[in-house]
Amino acid sequence: MAPGGYFGRALLVDVEDAGAEVLPLADDVLRGYLGGAGLGAWLMHRLAPARVAALAPEAPLAFCFSPLVGTPLTTSAKFAVVAKSPLTGMLNDALASSHFAIAGKLTGHDAIVVRGACSEPSVLLVDGDGTRLEPAGDLWGLPADEAGRRLRERLGKAWRVAAIGPAGERLVKYATLSHDGRHAGRGGLGAVLGSKLLKAVAVRPCTKVAPADPAAVLAAARDLRARSFGPATAKYRELGTLANLLAFNAIATLPTRNFQAATFSEAPRLAAEDLAEARGVARDSCASCSIGCEHIYRGAGGKQVRVEYENVFALGPMCGVSDPDAVLDASHRCDELGLDTISAGGTIAWAMECAERGLIDAPWLRFGDGDALLRALEEIGARQGLGALLAEGSRAAAREVGNGSEAFAAQVKGLELPGYEPRTLHAMALGLAVNARGADHNRSGAYEADLSGRVDRIAGGEPHVAAAIETEDRAAIMDSLILCKFLRGVFDDPMAEWAELLSSVSGWDVDAEELQATARRIVLAKRAFNAREGWMRADDGLPARLLEEPVQMAGGRTAALTPERLDRMIESYYQARGLRPSGLLQSHQLDDLRLEALV
Amino acid sequence: MGTPKAALEWHGSTLLRHVVGIVARGVRGPVIVVRAPGQLLPSLSDDIEIIEDPVEGRGPLQGLAAGLAAARRHAEGAYVSSTDMPFLHPAFVRHVAGALDGVDVALPKARGYPQPLAAAYRTDLVDTIEGLIKQDRLRPAHLFEVSRVRRLDDAELLADPILANWDPNLDSLLNVNEPGDYQDARARPAPEVTVRRFGVLRRIGSAPDPAQVHAATLAEAAREIGLELDAHIVAALNGDQIMRDGDVPLVAGDSVAFLSADGGG
Repeated sequence: MAPGGYFGRALLVDVEDAGAEVLPLADDVLRGYLGGAGLGAWLMHRLAPARVAALAPEAPLAFCFSPLVGTPLTTSAKFAVVAKSPLTGMLNDALASSHFAIAGKLTGHDAIVVRGACSEPSVLLVDGDGTRLEPAGDLWGLPADEAGRRLRERLGKAWRVAAIGPAGERLVKYATLSHDGRHAGRGGLGAVLGSKLLKAVAVRPCTKVAPADPAAVLAAARDLRARSFGPATAKYRELGTLANLLAFNAIATLPTRNFQAATFSEAPRLAAEDLAEARGVARDSCASCSIGCEHIYRGAGGKQVRVEYENVFALGPMCGVSDPDAVLDASHRCDELGLDTISAGGTIAWAMECAERGLIDAPWLRFGDGDALLRALEEIGARQGLGALLAEGSRAAAREVGNGSEAFAAQVKGLELPGYEPRTLHAMALGLAVNARGADHNRSGAYEADLSGRVDRIAGGEPHVAAAIETEDRAAIMDSLILCKFLRGVFDDPMAEWAELLSSVSGWDVDAEELQATARRIVLAKRAFNAREGWMRADDGLPARLLEEPVQMAGGRTAALTPERLDRMIESYYQARGLRPSGLLQSHQLDDLRLEALV
Repeated sequence: MGTPKAALEWHGSTLLRHVVGIVARGVRGPVIVVRAPGQLLPSLSDDIEIIEDPVEGRGPLQGLAAGLAAARRHAEGAYVSSTDMPFLHPAFVRHVAGALDGVDVALPKARGYPQPLAAAYRTDLVDTIEGLIKQDRLRPAHLFEVSRVRRLDDAELLADPILANWDPNLDSLLNVNEPGDYQDARARPAPEVTVRRFGVLRRIGSAPDPAQVHAATLAEAAREIGLELDAHIVAALNGDQIMRDGDVPLVAGDSVAFLSADGGG
């Protein structure tokens, strides 16, 4: 019998013929990887052929659920999508939220893994009647939201849909996979689904799953819900993540014009402090969430746009664009096309700099030009003109263009940097450099240390290494349990409190120490997968610009991050993680990954 | 004075905490506090190193030797301050410490007097100082006789435009020796600083943004605009380091940004 909160099995579907088999998941695996991103890492080790091309039919893509999904615990309705990334060539997990998580899990599986490729554009249906494919020719070319809406009209409201947009169909390397307007955004998982000619996966609940101790879970849910209304989440509730923009500008950590500066003189035009009043039209939340972080703004022509710091940063200051209409339009268009806004903005910013330096023939593409930004997005979504190059992401594009442009392609492992300036946030610099997914702020929240006042944020050293590890470990657990990171501030003793939640749901006697070991295992499993796929020591690093060009801080000082300082931190990180000096796992660490455990 | 100078109240903090905070803002590196044997000190933040002067009553050179010996582990030069300088400005500390290049001592001779306890010293002077102490030559002047000294007069100090702007009267060198000095100093208004707040903090209180307020510490600045520093708020001082200690001293010209402690996005 499976532990509480679990079914103890994954569904493996070959979409060539919709044939399905069940992969039993041993307690040892579930307890060792929890669910979500952790379980996804284990599944990729087991199911992805070594060195498989990310867009090959045999490359698996997993929708991974988690033990907390379906409980009344706030923010728990989330799922992870896990596959080898076509953008980075490494392991990628991306999280999205809401009803798909609940319905997907209640098909009776802890994960649904898709392999193979359809012969024509199709939709995969999974419910109590099994798995089947339906033609999706009429949906091909539609935005994910529209495809989902039409599918639910056709199938019925009990179905929940995760779909791709046109960018995923055209295999743009940073295409998203979306459900109900929320995106599993990073790493190009939409292209993986597109390569299988799958427009969407639709799920319908058909069973139930009970926690081991319902009364304890209910009490915890009440407590957590009450805490979620407190000051720790006020930022998300009242203004949303866009509240970062003006604050980050004040402390010189707002990447601007492709990381040529860390402050943007026109930032106030994009500030949530003013825009929320002028353009805010609604607030929304995912299923099972009491925070409600989604802030909807009115764009040009009355379009309603979900606004986040990362999309405004990437399509605004990163591209030198300050016109709110242009930025909101671009964000809306990314949603329609199914493009990761961070990678889209980062790649276009790189192209703007190339164009201004005369390295590519695109005289229309200039920093600060909102029309040019929108044109670039259209071309990327259509893979036409310059878009064919930019659809590959900044790393691949820079390799093709050459002429030194790789130095200012703002990416790590191929994944474009988020809106956290590494030169003025040294713990974050390390986090971005070593994380398995690439430059990402959701798998490494090391900026928390930089912004805490506990470390000197421009003098990276041992405290920064410890902070990077701590936040990476916490992210590994939150992404596997799964709980929203916007909730993290309400926990006083996170590992102990999360262990208690997991124990109540599963019936296991988990403590903080075990969960800490689980976090390490998940982090190392991702690293081990990357090593299997060709990761090399040089992949842990930052682009040359960030190591060679100092950046001006608001108070007049310059901040720099030298190659030597970053290397010292990386070496300390390897040491503290117990890795070999090469960054590879020791044999006892590989043994701990439980890769042989099958029922 | 009646009360140990270090423990004198200073805008909700103590004079020692204030001076230590100002010195910390003016130098790159740790701050070391030298206390007399058994001397009780007011509380200081955890990153301050406290050492004990091994011998009492041997004058300023004894304490200087102890402090420089501890500082030698971290740096080639150190700024040295007494605890009774309530108007010390970080720009003064930076200027004097920066004048140490190529000499053993950077010694302000301002207001007509040399200021050995507002000066910068090379840390390798420790051996020289200990030699002088063994010879019972206990006055700072004895040290200056045998070392390379750069004397910084008023004109030289005020040639620094930043220092001239924020401390035109060189109040950095004012010390409090008598109760009246302290009362006069305490009666002065707190320095004027610019305060900004971001995100949801802007929805608290009715102060304009930015606001000009008089505040001697971060906590005072927060209170002036209706905020209470807590676990959910941090401050950036002059767009630079992030801080959350309410006792962090402020000086004229400072700009303080209050922001959410959660930078998640």
